[in-house]
Amino acid sequence: MEKVLLVRYTEIHLKGLNRPYFERALIDNMKRSLRGLSPVIEREQGRIYVRGISEENFSEALDRLTRVFGIHSISPAVSVDKDWETVVGAALGLMEKRLEAADAGTSFKVFARRSDKHYFMNSDQINKELGGRVLNRFPSLHVDVHKPEIKLSVEIRESAYVYCEEIPGANGMPTGTAGKASLLISGGIDSPVAGYMMAKRGLTLSAVHFYSYPYTSERARDKVVELTKLVSRYAGEIKLFLVPFTDIQMTIYEKCPEKETTVIMRRLMMRIAERIAKSEGALALITGESLGQVASQTLEALCVTNDAVSMPVFRPLIGFDKDEIMDIARRIGTYETSILPYEDCCTVFVPKHPVTKPKLDELRASEASVDFSGMIEKAIENTEIMTVK
Amino acid sequence: MIYFDNSATTPCLPEAGAEALKYMTSGYFNPAAAYAPAVQTEREVNAARAAILSEISREPGDLIFTSCGTESNNTAIFGSLAAMRGKGRVIASGVEHPSVYEAAIALREQGYDVVFAPVDETGKVRLDGLAALINGETRLVSIMHVNNESGAVNDISAIRGLIKKASPDCLLHVDGVQAFMKMPPVPCDLYSVSGHKLHAPKGVGALYVKKGVKIRPYLVGGGQETGLRSGTTNVPGIMAFSFAVHDFAAHRDEYVSGMAEVKNRLYSNLSSIRDVKLNGPEPGSGAPHILNVSFMGVRGEVLLNALSERGLMVSTGSACAAHKRGRNRILNAMGILGERQDGAIRFSFSHFNTVAEADAAAGLIEEQVNLLRRFRRR
Repeated sequence: MEKVLLVRYTEIHLKGLNRPYFERALIDNMKRSLRGLSPVIEREQGRIYVRGISEENFSEALDRLTRVFGIHSISPAVSVDKDWETVVGAALGLMEKRLEAADAGTSFKVFARRSDKHYFMNSDQINKELGGRVLNRFPSLHVDVHKPEIKLSVEIRESAYVYCEEIPGANGMPTGTAGKASLLISGGIDSPVAGYMMAKRGLTLSAVHFYSYPYTSERARDKVVELTKLVSRYAGEIKLFLVPFTDIQMTIYEKCPEKETTVIMRRLMMRIAERIAKSEGALALITGESLGQVASQTLEALCVTNDAVSMPVFRPLIGFDKDEIMDIARRIGTYETSILPYEDCCTVFVPKHPVTKPKLDELRASEASVDFSGMIEKAIENTEIMTVK
Repeated sequence: MIYFDNSATTPCLPEAGAEALKYMTSGYFNPAAAYAPAVQTEREVNAARAAILSEISREPGDLIFTSCGTESNNTAIFGSLAAMRGKGRVIASGVEHPSVYEAAIALREQGYDVVFAPVDETGKVRLDGLAALINGETRLVSIMHVNNESGAVNDISAIRGLIKKASPDCLLHVDGVQAFMKMPPVPCDLYSVSGHKLHAPKGVGALYVKKGVKIRPYLVGGGQETGLRSGTTNVPGIMAFSFAVHDFAAHRDEYVSGMAEVKNRLYSNLSSIRDVKLNGPEPGSGAPHILNVSFMGVRGEVLLNALSERGLMVSTGSACAAHKRGRNRILNAMGILGERQDGAIRFSFSHFNTVAEADAAAGLIEEQVNLLRRFRRR
């Protein structure tokens, strides 16, 4: 008897002739995720099997796979010889374990699949035969073919697989199959969620963070590194660019109209992020903006910010309420880190009454009145780069 | 580096560190063991106990060694109430350290009638306000000796007088973590101290328990500390603590006046910056080592970061509260709100600090305050 993780994948099956490409990417990502646990990964008839995981690492492997995009669900299964009594023994053993849980339920159904057409019973016979044996052994259970609480699955292939759990995966597309984009990451709740959502659609991420040393603290910086690390649990390795932004902010504050400072700051951030993204081979930017959440995220402000760059800007949270974003942040485990109370570069220098309906012409004029090019070059030159995984 | 955050912790005296090392490497015996070297270690621990005790109180009592000020405060509050019958009123001031304040909140959930005494604008407990709260049902009053954020010194003798008049059986606990050795001893039933605020290593504290006061232990086990605090005796920490107390006692006047001089010098330098407000007692009347001022129009955390980069370490509030979001409970209670609260910085000194440091620090602060004020919210 061997313990196996049986992995089902998502919409990859829609991909026609490109399907092998997506499958290979998924398997590579699974291998990376299971690094150190010596997995043997095989693809077979629309499923992926993970073998070779030791007993003590089994739940760790399962947990890691729930964060790999492209996986629809995972079943911890046992693989046994096709000898009928052995199959029954394995099934009863699994059911016994399952029934230890308080909320296991009392109804069940057997789902048999037989790809080995030479097997001495067909699927229907297996269902009846095994159902009977389960009822004999656990008289408190009953069969419910419509809405069973426990689904006991048996697959007869080159060997037999038995399982009764199906754990949901992270869904989405395998990371890396959709290309590369750069995430503008602050220390807040939204940007890590935005990064997670785009990685879920198959993007590889790099991340750009702006900081106002020395007016923001070392802890604020550690927090961003930690948030990036939490996103990388899903998105894989992320190259993080830490851009010193103090000189630019101070210049904006001293030379531009006060109420426009936030929007001009965001335009310059987008510009620098685009430069970094291009140098990285990324084709788009990602932000955590949500329509109307703050003054700089009104439609007018977004238009003005957008005008600063030519790359597409993905804003996966644009139609989300704060509560909805917070729910995702809690689910993916970034929330608790995001709410640590440190000043970040957007809060150190902030006008009391930022403009909510900036006019593009005025903003362009204000920005053009100051020559930022030298400062932008210097900021990019002094950017610190680290690989977070 | 200029270190003006001695209320958060102090550098360990090298000799105190050497003393700790000695009791880790050669005098390492468990004082509860039976053989002669262990008995010798036990004698030395007890001599340290007596020496520290004599600095806390002139009235008879015991000293329980603990792991820190928080444990001393928790033991004093929970332990003394658990040893009493029934539940009554518990009074603490509104500006206590979190290890007292949160304990009081927990007691309220347990069904005690917990009330908080008001303080004046310097952070000192108002005697009239306290007197109005003490009734015959009051079991415990917990008031800090020196406030860790403002440096206000409470009149513990007067507070004890109030208590004895209104509720003779009521106990008085005093959190002396910031005051110990720097202020003269005060009469009370329970007094908490901590080693690392006094140039001993972290990990050792103590609680004075006046003779006759009952404590129910929180940690049970081997029965160390006369059964009141089980756990293998922290001999290195205790011996280093004792060394630091001896050292302070031998140079008390010099150390205390030195800190006060640095504090006064810094304050007089800072007073020349416009829009600076003192939070707490006039420098002459507060504790010698704590100064809290607000730089109007500047955000404390931003100023702190800027000063840290230039080698000056200060605080925007108690290190135990600096991680908490939201407004400063202590300054709120003192009525220091809004822009003045946002701009508050605490400076705290030790005898290692010098007047030259105060001058250099004031220069850095003035430069940064002027710079940051250009970027204030207009």
